[in-house]
Amino acid sequence: LCYISPCSSWLPQRVPLRESHWQSSLLELRTSLPVRAQPKKKKKVDVKKEQAQKERMKKKLKKLEKAAPELIPIEDFITPLKYSESNRVRSLPALSPEESERRVLLLKKWCLFKQKQDEAEKKAIKGLVESQQEALKELRLESEELYEAAIRRDEGLFPFERDGPSYTPPLPGYDPPEGKCIDITKVYTQ
Amino acid sequence: NVLLGCHRSYRSRPTHGIGKFKYLLPKEVPKKRKEKVQMKEIDAGTEYHYGDVNIQMTSYDLCLVEHFAQYVHRLCNRLSIRVNESYAMPTKTNEVLFMEEKGSKMQLDAVLTTHQRVVQIRGLSSTFAPILLEIIQSSQPEGVHLLMKQHTEADFKSRLKSRPELEELLAEMS
Repeated sequence: LCYISPCSSWLPQRVPLRESHWQSSLLELRTSLPVRAQPKKKKKVDVKKEQAQKERMKKKLKKLEKAAPELIPIEDFITPLKYSESNRVRSLPALSPEESERRVLLLKKWCLFKQKQDEAEKKAIKGLVESQQEALKELRLESEELYEAAIRRDEGLFPFERDGPSYTPPLPGYDPPEGKCIDITKVYTQ
Repeated sequence: NVLLGCHRSYRSRPTHGIGKFKYLLPKEVPKKRKEKVQMKEIDAGTEYHYGDVNIQMTSYDLCLVEHFAQYVHRLCNRLSIRVNESYAMPTKTNEVLFMEEKGSKMQLDAVLTTHQRVVQIRGLSSTFAPILLEIIQSSQPEGVHLLMKQHTEADFKSRLKSRPELEELLAEMS
C-alpha cells in the first residue's frame, strides 16, 4: 500500500504553534488580524494634516523669499559709541610763527615731491603704452596670425595674487613660538 | 451748435494751456524707496577685453588699505577704465594665541582685524591689462595683499547675510 498524499506540494512549512496553553490565539503578541474599518480614517486625517503642513511651509517660504537679502554691515564704518559719548575735547597749544612757517614750507616740498612722483608715473604709463603699440605694429607687419594671437586676452592672467613687499627680509633660522588663530568674526543672520 | 459746444484747446490758440498750474508748484522729490540689493549682471567679456574684474586688497592696516583702494580707483578713473563698484568687504577678526615657553597655557597675544577693499572694473582691454598690473604692483604698499580675479556670483553672495531659516526650509521641501 502506497500512501498518496492529497496535497500536491508537501513542503516542510512552519506551522505556527502555540508557545503555551495560556496563549489563546495563534498570532504573536500585540498583533491582530487587519481590521477593515479603522485604517482608512487614519490615512485621510494624515493626508490632510500633511497637506496643511506643506501649505504652511510654502507660505513661510514665500514670506521669507519676499524679504530682500541684506548686505553684511561693515564694522569699519560704524564708529564705536564710546568715541562719540564723551565730551572731552583736546586743547592744542598755539603754534609759534616759525613752527607754522616750517610746516607750510614742508607741505610745499611734499606737494612738489608728490607731483614729481605722479608725473613720473604718467610718463612711465605713456612710455609702456607707446612701446607696446610699436611692438604690435611691427608684429603685424611680420605676421598677421601672431598679431591676432597677441591681441587676444590671456586666460592665465587672472586670478593674480601678490603679497606686498616687506620692510626686512625674513630672518634665517627663526623659530616662531607655537600658537593658533581663532576666528571671532561676528556672524550676521537675516 | 457743434463748433461752439466743443471746448478743446488748440495749440495755436492763445488760450492753450489755460488752467495749468502744476508747473508753477515746487518739484516734489519722489519718496526714496529702499533699494533692493540685487546682483547686477556679470559681464563675461569678449576675446579682446576682460569682463568684470575684482581688484581685492587685503591688509591688517585699515588706513593703508583704504588709501590704496582710493589710489587704485583714481588711477582707473584717470586711465578711463570703467569702475562698476568700489566697496568694502566685511571685516574679519582673529585672536592670535601663542604657547608660552615655560608654561603649557595659551596666552593671548593680539586681536587682529583683517580689512578688505574691492574695486570692480569692466572692459579692461587685453593689451592694457599687463600695464595696469605693473603700475599697481609698483605702488603696492607693505603689508597689503593684492588679488585680481574675475567677478563671480559667489563673490557677490559672500557679501550678503546668511539666511539659515530659508535654507532649512528649502532643505525640508526638497
